[in-house]
Amino acid sequence: MKQIIILFFVLMGLTSFSQKGKKVQFVGGARSLLSSSELQSPGDTVTAPRSSGGYALLDLGVKINPNANTEVLGMLRIRNEFGGFWGAGVTFDVRQLHVRGVAKNFLMYQIGNIDYKLTPYTFFNHNADILTSSAGSFRMKERVMNYESFYSDNTWRQQGASYNFALAFPKVIQRMEFNGFITRLNPSNFSNVFDRLYGGGNVIISQSSHIDIGLNYVSIFDLAGTALDSNLYRNSVSTVNYDFHIQVNDVLVGLDGETGSSRVGKSLEPDSKLSDYFVHTRAYFDPVKKPFKFHVGYINNGADFRSFGAQSKRVNFDQPNNMYKRFTNEQILRPVSIYDMYNDPMLTNTGITVGLMNYNPAINNVLPYGLATFNRSGFYAGASYEGKQKITSADFKSYGLREIRGQGTTKKKSFFMNNLTVDSKLAKLWGGKRSLNLNLGLSHQFTSRQSEIDFEQVNLQSVQVNGGLEFELVENLFVLSNVFILQSQGKDQMPMRNAQDEVVDFETFEVNGQDLTTSFGLRFDFTEDNFLGIFYEMNQNNFVPDHPYRFNQASILYVLKF
Amino acid sequence: MKKSIIILFALVSIISCRKDEINKFDGPDLNDVYGEFKIIDSLKSSVSSVDFSQGTMHFSCELSKLSQWKLEIEGQNSGAVKIIEGSSRVLDASTALWDGSTTIFPLFQAEMCDVMLTFEGEVDTLHTTLELTGLKPLEGFIVANFEDGWKPGWTKFVQSGANMKFDIQNDSVTPEATSYYNMQGEVNWDWLIGLVDFNAAAYNETTLPLSANGDNLFFNCLVYGEPQLDNSRILFRFDEDENEDGEFDETTEDQFGYEVIIDWAGWRLISVKYSDIVGNGNGGDIHNPDKLNKVSILHLANPASGFAKTAVDLMIFTENEALQP
Repeated sequence: MKQIIILFFVLMGLTSFSQKGKKVQFVGGARSLLSSSELQSPGDTVTAPRSSGGYALLDLGVKINPNANTEVLGMLRIRNEFGGFWGAGVTFDVRQLHVRGVAKNFLMYQIGNIDYKLTPYTFFNHNADILTSSAGSFRMKERVMNYESFYSDNTWRQQGASYNFALAFPKVIQRMEFNGFITRLNPSNFSNVFDRLYGGGNVIISQSSHIDIGLNYVSIFDLAGTALDSNLYRNSVSTVNYDFHIQVNDVLVGLDGETGSSRVGKSLEPDSKLSDYFVHTRAYFDPVKKPFKFHVGYINNGADFRSFGAQSKRVNFDQPNNMYKRFTNEQILRPVSIYDMYNDPMLTNTGITVGLMNYNPAINNVLPYGLATFNRSGFYAGASYEGKQKITSADFKSYGLREIRGQGTTKKKSFFMNNLTVDSKLAKLWGGKRSLNLNLGLSHQFTSRQSEIDFEQVNLQSVQVNGGLEFELVENLFVLSNVFILQSQGKDQMPMRNAQDEVVDFETFEVNGQDLTTSFGLRFDFTEDNFLGIFYEMNQNNFVPDHPYRFNQASILYVLKF
Repeated sequence: MKKSIIILFALVSIISCRKDEINKFDGPDLNDVYGEFKIIDSLKSSVSSVDFSQGTMHFSCELSKLSQWKLEIEGQNSGAVKIIEGSSRVLDASTALWDGSTTIFPLFQAEMCDVMLTFEGEVDTLHTTLELTGLKPLEGFIVANFEDGWKPGWTKFVQSGANMKFDIQNDSVTPEATSYYNMQGEVNWDWLIGLVDFNAAAYNETTLPLSANGDNLFFNCLVYGEPQLDNSRILFRFDEDENEDGEFDETTEDQFGYEVIIDWAGWRLISVKYSDIVGNGNGGDIHNPDKLNKVSILHLANPASGFAKTAVDLMIFTENEALQP
């Protein structure tokens, strides 16, 4: 009988959803922001220079546990724009709705809003546009942005259903875990737009404590019969991921990675179908008694590799700014800056986008779609450090990549990127009671294409520096200061794509600009999830030729989670 | 464990040996987008003189980059123009072939032609000449080209309005050969200004000698729009003698009609697939071009609009495709 498979239920810390026997709980958060802004654009007599605004919102969720294995959560958002009164400017939205539970102590399920991810090449929310760790006011704002856009641990918010269960075995393999999901990306219009679904899952096999292998499959597909058309879209990705590791003389040595292939196209357009494969593998070394860890990796992502569940970007650079959308006397559109990315939740994408999204080469030209960026081949290496007393932790990663297929020429672009983050809790050095934290983030990117022909030459360089200081003046009251610089110079030729994502033309991207933000302020922590921040930010941007601008903003931000 | 790592490394190495894409690139050639425009090989004609009844000819030219180009061939006597446009680095038989057809009427004559090649966004212009010794033959059943005068069996009705003139003209306005049919006048009480019936009897037939397949048959006619006047309409009417008794009975047999509002100046070719012409439904609306015993042209104008003028030439039925004159 020992040969029989043993059922293994997945606990994931949720053997029972009803905590402390409560059948109904209130969960949620509250936030309030009050800000006053000033735009200074030399010679601009058309744009109103000052604006102010704010809001208060309450996310009120009711979590009901009808039994020990079931949870129902509904969360409403009440938002009131300052200046609105007696109903004006007040909105009510449903922010979250789901049912989840464990059936027969075996099958875990969730229906409704689900935050989901699989692997970096199948279904993953890469944070490709914020390359440095945030500090000071930017850290507070990033927390707000992530909450607003449902970004948590690289998941995408979807609407549908998911399940999870596992089996344990007495011999050969230890455990098999099964995960699956199906979500709806867009509804049919009963005419020419299909119901578009996104589904897939994986099986993770743990052969022993040294070997884990995963088989993954995801597919974005049109549901036949939901529109008066028969040209069905599909983007399917199949991958294998693995992690082999062993400890040899106090050194943990491992090899992990993911390899697979993708297909994309429409059923009645065989000529436009694309298929390709990718290889990503990484060796890592962790001397467990030393503060250092090292890794080296290899990437080979085919030029036609498409996995929109992993290539959708957080920032939609085609979305115009909400704050000072236009400026100058000609009222030109103000392009999305890195400062806007921390300020405007409307610029972020809350779901999977089918098709390649545009990116800003000044911000990330090396891996604009994260690790799942197509048409890249090369190596990377990294090291991390964390001292025993955890005074300083640092992480460094360096990439040397190249195009696999040229863009408009057989010559290939080369890409280099170095990222460094350092966090120091300096007060620990002298045993101070009040904390003094220093954060530093650096990112350097370089793109080049050598050619004897002038117009084929590419030379684009970007540097991001993000430094922050946090000093605890009195208990729980922090003085904050932050400097963020993005500098970019050079030129590249950016592909322009049609609706089928085919490159149809090139546009010269030429840049010589700087975005500098300095900020200072105070933050009072009531608890870890409850704080009040008061800060002032000064942003200078001269990326638009002949139209530099300055942006000053004073803000009061209150955040509470319960 | 060691074995597994070695196997995996070997596997990854094999997979990573991607077929090199040395000669492949995405999108258009950067040279075509950003390269300098130069003429590598000037404009040449494949022949110095051409007889289109014997075959076609082409022009050649080589450029340094992909360019939008426009070839204009203009008859020195007729003023006829053929325009060939394209986007390529090389002009050759696949991109710059001329079969003797016309873009802007009148039709070409046996004459010398000036050829001009221009490029969008560039100042360069290339020239050459070509002698046209033979015209492209017209293939199909010609209902009327008016070259042999008024054919017995054709009939006409002209209202008694002002400045009425329904006759064959031989002047420089002619789009093809020497003659065309002019229709003009002012009728302030009726839409109809006049009409001409081209009866099968004029060709010594009971029905016009056409194929039975309306999906494969095209009716073509050159129609003239008088400059400054846009009130003329032409109604082409097609009467089918479906019971083949030699008479058309409007109450029991199909009559098809195709109306054209003439809102242009100069000559224009009108072509329509016979099966696309709408009928009166009295004979079941089944297109039987082999039973056609009369084609009529009605010149119409709003009675309140005053003087109206139009003209027609080269009425011809063609098989398989519309007329490429």
